[in-house]
Amino acid sequence: MTIDFEFRKTVMDYHVHDVLKYCFQCSRCTDNCPISAVTIDFYTTTGYNPRTNILNALLGYKDAIFSADPLTIWGCTVCDTCDEVCPQHIELTEIFTFLKNESVKAGTAPDFIYGQAKAIYDSAKAIPSQPAIERRREQLGIPAVAVPDVNEVQTLLKNIGSDKKLK
Amino acid sequence: MTEYKMFEGCTIGNRIPFIEAASRKVFDKVGIMTSTAPFSCCPDPTGMKSFDNNAWLALGARNLALAESEGKDIISLCNGCANTLRGVQFQLKHDSLKKGKVNAELAKIGKNYQGSIDVKHFVDVLNDNIDKVKGAVTKPLSGLKVAVHPGCHYMRPAEWMESDDPMRPTTLKKLVAAAGATVVEYEEEILCCGSAVTNAYQEHGMANLKVKMDSIKKSGADIIVVNCPACFQQFDTQQRDLGKKYETEYSIPVLYITELLSLAMGFGAEDIGLKFHRTRMKLEDFGL
Repeated sequence: MTIDFEFRKTVMDYHVHDVLKYCFQCSRCTDNCPISAVTIDFYTTTGYNPRTNILNALLGYKDAIFSADPLTIWGCTVCDTCDEVCPQHIELTEIFTFLKNESVKAGTAPDFIYGQAKAIYDSAKAIPSQPAIERRREQLGIPAVAVPDVNEVQTLLKNIGSDKKLK
Repeated sequence: MTEYKMFEGCTIGNRIPFIEAASRKVFDKVGIMTSTAPFSCCPDPTGMKSFDNNAWLALGARNLALAESEGKDIISLCNGCANTLRGVQFQLKHDSLKKGKVNAELAKIGKNYQGSIDVKHFVDVLNDNIDKVKGAVTKPLSGLKVAVHPGCHYMRPAEWMESDDPMRPTTLKKLVAAAGATVVEYEEEILCCGSAVTNAYQEHGMANLKVKMDSIKKSGADIIVVNCPACFQQFDTQQRDLGKKYETEYSIPVLYITELLSLAMGFGAEDIGLKFHRTRMKLEDFGL
């Protein structure tokens, strides 16, 4: 396995509090991860494993993260439990966000992720307004949802370069 | 009385608005004033943040800037929105470089983000007014056994959310007790509903939901009470499929905490849109 020093540096720079290097692989993250609980058993090395992701990110083993089954990254359900149980106060979910952002760029993220981003780009909402729901809101006696400025949202996303990552 | 900017979010606003209706009824009774603003998606801390963290920061800051321009705090009806807006505030507060970059982008659309307002999850606002909540209860739901599910993003990461204990939450239980119902404890209370992973990996989401639902079933709860629309949908719409997959019956009704409070404050099933729930709940079965 090769070490990608550039990748390693990017991971380290991404981390505001710079505590990632204090990981001593105690495995509290994986032991408390709800998805590890349903995807890993004692005899296999497949499944979702936050501890391994942190180790590979820290060592710069880029291929081990990105060339494997996308479950390696996208098995995370963003429950933030690992952040709370980590004895070294590493914000694991932020590191995983970085890994996911990289996977999006490489085009290997799940369809749902691109779908939601596209909906937000097109309508400024993850779930666009529908006539049936607008009528239901009226029947329920609640005011219409204030319409967001789609142009502003698209301008922001274009200037940041997010639009180029859409599928 | 302070007025909040209402942040109902995409799911409640454009998919399950009956939850907003119940929430507005409770806010009226408790004296919480709100007004609307043209907010975009918060955006989703599990979806859009994973897509592009910089886009997440910029869109979040734009929403915050909208409320800031009126000098009003935000009240969020959703765990995800509260998590994003508080998370964006936290990251920009602790990273002046990022804040500068985000403001440079906002300047191009004529906006500016300072970080001068607060973002509140509605559960915390109701808890701050717990005496008024209790005072508005006219039909205590005595005997109703409730399993609570506060959901991950209501309390984690703790340094963003600064509300409840991240691993032993209590606030939702206090509100359930204020409605006169009985809280039943269960082992997997802080376990995630698995909504985010279900979007990508249905089978793992279901396996996780089974762990959660088995624990709730074992507790003998009549209903599940939640304070997040993503969790609500996960429990409300997936129980039937879960039952089919594992050949076990899962049919525990799910209520939003504001629906539960609405019932305790004298509103009926019609008022809160109970017929739109997938898991059927007949009030008379529980003597309500």
